[in-house]
Order: sequence, then structure tokens, then C-alpha cells
Amino acid sequence: MKLLLVEDDEETAAYLRKALGEAGHVVDRAAAGREGLMLAAGETYDVIILDRLLPELDGLAILRTIRASGVKTPVLVLTALGGIDDRVEGLEAGGDDYLVKPFAFAELLARINALARRPPPQDAPTALQVGELRVDLLKRTVTRGGRRIELQPKEFLVLEFLMRHAGRVVTRTMLLEGVWNFHFDPKTNIVETHVSRLRSKIDRGEAEELIHTVRGAGYCVRTPG
Amino acid sequence: MRPLRSTSLRLAAAYAAVFAVAVAVLAVVTVTTTRTALRRELDRRIQAEVTALVQEYRIEGMEGVVQAVRERDSTPGALNYGLQGPHGEPLVGRLADVAAPVGWSTQVIRETDDNDVDHVRVLVVSLWDRRLLVGQNLERISRLYGLVLRAFVWAFFGVILLGGAVGLALSRDVERRFAEISAAAQAIIDGDMARRIPLKGRGDDLDAVAATLNRMLDRIGALMGTVHQVSSDIAHDLRTPLTRLRQKLEASLRAVSQAERTATVEAALQDMDAILEIFAALLRIAQIEGGARRAGFRSVDLGQVAAAVAEAFAPSAEEGGRRLEFRSEGSAFIHGDKELLTQMMANLVENGLTHTAPGAVIEIGVAAAQSGACLYVRDDGPGIPVEARGRVLDRFVRLEHSRSTPGSGLGLALVAAVARLHDAEVSLDDAAPGLIVRVSFPRRLQQLGGVS
Repeated sequence: MKLLLVEDDEETAAYLRKALGEAGHVVDRAAAGREGLMLAAGETYDVIILDRLLPELDGLAILRTIRASGVKTPVLVLTALGGIDDRVEGLEAGGDDYLVKPFAFAELLARINALARRPPPQDAPTALQVGELRVDLLKRTVTRGGRRIELQPKEFLVLEFLMRHAGRVVTRTMLLEGVWNFHFDPKTNIVETHVSRLRSKIDRGEAEELIHTVRGAGYCVRTPG
Repeated sequence: MRPLRSTSLRLAAAYAAVFAVAVAVLAVVTVTTTRTALRRELDRRIQAEVTALVQEYRIEGMEGVVQAVRERDSTPGALNYGLQGPHGEPLVGRLADVAAPVGWSTQVIRETDDNDVDHVRVLVVSLWDRRLLVGQNLERISRLYGLVLRAFVWAFFGVILLGGAVGLALSRDVERRFAEISAAAQAIIDGDMARRIPLKGRGDDLDAVAATLNRMLDRIGALMGTVHQVSSDIAHDLRTPLTRLRQKLEASLRAVSQAERTATVEAALQDMDAILEIFAALLRIAQIEGGARRAGFRSVDLGQVAAAVAEAFAPSAEEGGRRLEFRSEGSAFIHGDKELLTQMMANLVENGLTHTAPGAVIEIGVAAAQSGACLYVRDDGPGIPVEARGRVLDRFVRLEHSRSTPGSGLGLALVAAVARLHDAEVSLDDAAPGLIVRVSFPRRLQQLGGVS
């Protein structure tokens, strides 16, 4: 994918550029606000990664400007640690996701992937399917190869979230935000417990595992191979 | 003091000037109106006298008129009269030697004894072959309005003097008050943070301003105290985890195998995450204590939030051999921040989960009362000793027996901060056995419609 990274810190930018490059992405980098705005408005990118605090022009100002001029590229806003209103401000300015600095690279990568291949909003599927696992979003039922699987409401939401991002890594934080709307990090292993219960209901006794744990990153629903 | 540059003195001078101009305008209007009214009144009197004398002539004849003129002319305070022959020769009365045409006129008469000139308003009518004159000396009117004019001149200077004096006194007072405020501000700038502006106790606008400024200073003081507290907390409590992190990184340099190196670096990353978590929690608490989140308060159903938290944590509690129960008595609406309330309840539940042994029952519940809404989390664990209950709400306080469990000692501090933001009270009590934490939210007027 072609990414735009607007980040003023040289070291962070160099690290992210290298790591994103290794993950198979092409990265343009802008070090200051005006350059970032010019690139964001002029070039075509799959995802824009935008730091909030920038020289010359604030990240949110860039975001508002490109949104006002009709650029619909998904934007991931990087916010400072502890700014509890930053998320709301970032989303209100037209951001699609946010990530608090400092972050684990796996988290950033997972979110970039989730953003880039997000289906257009008007396309609302009524069912999700991965291999022989089928989730009917209207009837709220789950079947695997004809076997009916009973899920608790939250387990269903976790599965739905994973299936919507099928083939991509979903992090613990993404699940906390997407399923529970928790914007803090509980010490308790809420996510792990739910995923392990889900896994026991879906994958137990099957030859193929569909719910995979990605070490150091999160979870992924996909067919083997 | 620089009198002319003082705002209040300038105002006083301006007021005095405006009043003086007003008095002058009033004087002109009053004098003119008085004069016109007096002239008109005089004309009416003269006209009435002439009518009366003409009537006298019709009844008594010329003899009667002569008699009347003589009588009236000698009466003090009455008008002046005169009767002349066909060619203007004086017959009787004081005005008899005045040569005036028939009708209204103002005549100039030279006094005989001195050289003064008198102005006389006179009406002349013909009675058969005689001429009747009735008039009045205008000097009396002039004297009258001269008096009025003089009174106004005195008033004019009086207003300027009085206005100036009062203005000066007021400006001195106001200036002194401002000097006090300025002195207090200067003292605070110079480092005396406890200094406040003295109040006069008069309850006037300057007292109100001073009281507001004092409240602002209190608030700034409290915020500075928080910042100070946070920085010393960080310095004190991050030393241990940072030291551990350093040791792990050093160990990774000395590692003999790749596997060992990876393991120590991963452990170091975990330490790093723990440190960042402490930072995030501290900043979050500081921001909550800043109070800015109040602007985003909405109507929130505590029961609904508690139910969601209970639902999220129940499976994990079960996994750990504990039971999490949710008890509700319907909805309890408060005005608040849903996200922070969720985190507060999550912290309380996690607190219960970490400080109890397997087999424990943790109960989260919401009760709506007349006095407001109450949230409680009860466990049947070891509880907290009475003497430590006040302390656990502070930052980084971890009781001895929980030193070994993971945690930053910030969970309950965040609970306390969120409660303070909502004007709620946190109380810790003995649940016999175990601990019950209650958060009591006060009832507010705007909530009345929301409680069902």
C-alpha cells in the first residue's frame, strides 16, 4: 500500500518508514505541517498517518482542510499519551481511527490494514463468511458447516468484529474499543477470556482452526493456507 | 498618586462637568420661561384693571374713574395709573405725564430724583375725550429674575465644588482598593502564593471581583499542588520499574543465546509498557482533576453502565474462580461522563477481583435514592483496615499485603478523581466480611426528569 506519514520526529519517522517498508508498504514522509498538507491533498494514498503536534500546521488543521476539500483517504491520527479528549477531537475533525503514542508497531500495522481495506460504508453485508463459518447478521446466528453454534451476546460481537476484519490482524485494543467501547486498558484479561471461549465453541473438535492468535499482536480469523 | 491619570478621578471630573452644563441649561430655560410667564401675567393684570376701570366709567362716569385712579394709585403694591386730557395733558395719577400711544407699549421714563431709567409696560385706552393709562414698572420683573439667575450661578459653582469633592473622595477610596489588589498580585508574583486580596465586607462590586480573584487563586493553587504532587509521585514511584527495565536491558547485552536475549528484551518491553501505563494513568488523573471534562457531561444511566461492566468482567471473574454479580434497582440517571464512569466501575471491579481469593463473590450494584444515586461494589475478601481506608484513595498507595499483586496503586486514585469530578463521595466500609466501596452521586435539579 502507499502510505503518507506526517511526523516531525526524525527518529520515529525513520523507524516507522523502515518497519512499514519491511511490511510491504511504500511510505512518503512529510516532516512539517505544510508539506504534509500539500502531499495529503495532492497525491493519492491508501492511508494517511497523521501526528497531531507538528511544526507550522497542527495535525487536526490538516485533517479538517483535506476533509473540507473532499479528500476521503482514511486517516489514522497519532495522539499524545494521556490526552483523554484527543480521540473525540480527532474523530470529530474527520479522522477514521486514532492511536496513542507511544504504541507497539504491531498495533499500528493492524490498524493501518484495518483502515485501508475498510469496505465502503453504503455496502452493508447481511452475512459474513470465512471458510465454512457463517455469521448471519440479521438473524444473529452462527453456523459452521451446518452445525449451529450458540454464542453469548458479547461473544457474537467479538466474532462479528473478527469476521469483518477477516484475514487481518485485530489487536486487543481494537476489540476493547470496537466491542466494549472501552477506551482504557483493563488489567483483567477480558479479551483473552472472550476469545478463548469463542475459540472453544467454534474451533473445538474441528480439523481446521479459524481463530488464530498472532503472537505479540492480536487475533486473526482466516482459513488455513 | 497621579490624580489626572486616575480613572475614577477622571470620571468624577466628567460627571461634575456634565452636571454643571445641565445646571446651566436648566438656568437658561428657567429664567426665560419665568420672564415670559411674568410678562404675560403682568399684561393680564393690566388688561383686567383697564376692563374694571372702563366698567367704572360706564357706571360712575368720569368722576368715578378719577376717584378710582386716585385710590388705586396710592395703594402700595398696586399698578400705576394715569388720566390725561384730550391732548395728552396730565390730569391725575402717576402715569399722567407719560406720552404713550393708544394700545400696548413699553415706555422709557427718566426718574426725576436720580438719573435712572425705568421701563414701563403700559396700556392706553380712550375714555370719551380722555386717555386712561394703566401700567407697571418692569424693573420689578427684572429684579425677580435677577434673583433666580443669581441662585442658579450659586448652584452652578456648588455643583462643581461638591461633584469635585465627592469624586475626589470616591476616587481615593477606589484607588486604595485597586492598590490593595495590585499589591496582592505583586506579592503572589514575588512568590507568596498563599497571599489573597483582603475583602472589605461591604459586598460591593469590588469585593465581588476580589472574591472571584481569590477563588481563582485558590483553584490555581490547587492545580499547582496537583502538578507538584504528580511530579514528586513520578520521581518516587517510577524509580523502581525504571531500574528493573535498565537491569533487563543490561542482561540482554550479556545474554549468551539468541533465545535468552529475545526473552529479556520482551520482558523489558513489558516493563516499559507498565511504566507507560503508570504515566497514562497519572496524566489521566491529572486531566480529570483539571475539570475540563465537565463540559461534556450528559445524562448517563449508572445502572446501564454497571450492567455493561459486569457483563464484560463476569467471564474473566469466572475463569479466576470468582463470581461477579450485578444487582440493580432500575435506572439511576446522573449528569456525567459515561466513559470515565465506565472506567471508574471497571477499576472498582478489578480491585475486587485482584484483592480477593478464588471463591469470592463480588457484587456491583446501583441504587436510586431520594438524595441521589449510589453505586456500590462489595466483595467478601479480606477488606481494608479502618486506618488505611482514607489513604488508599491517594496516588501510589499500596497496602503491604498487596505489594506482590500487579498494579500501579493508581486504580482507586482514578476512582476518587472521577468521583470528585462528578461531585460524588467515595466511602469505604466494612462489609463484614469484605469491603464495600460506595460512590454517592448527589441529586441535581436537571436530573429530576430523568429518574424513572
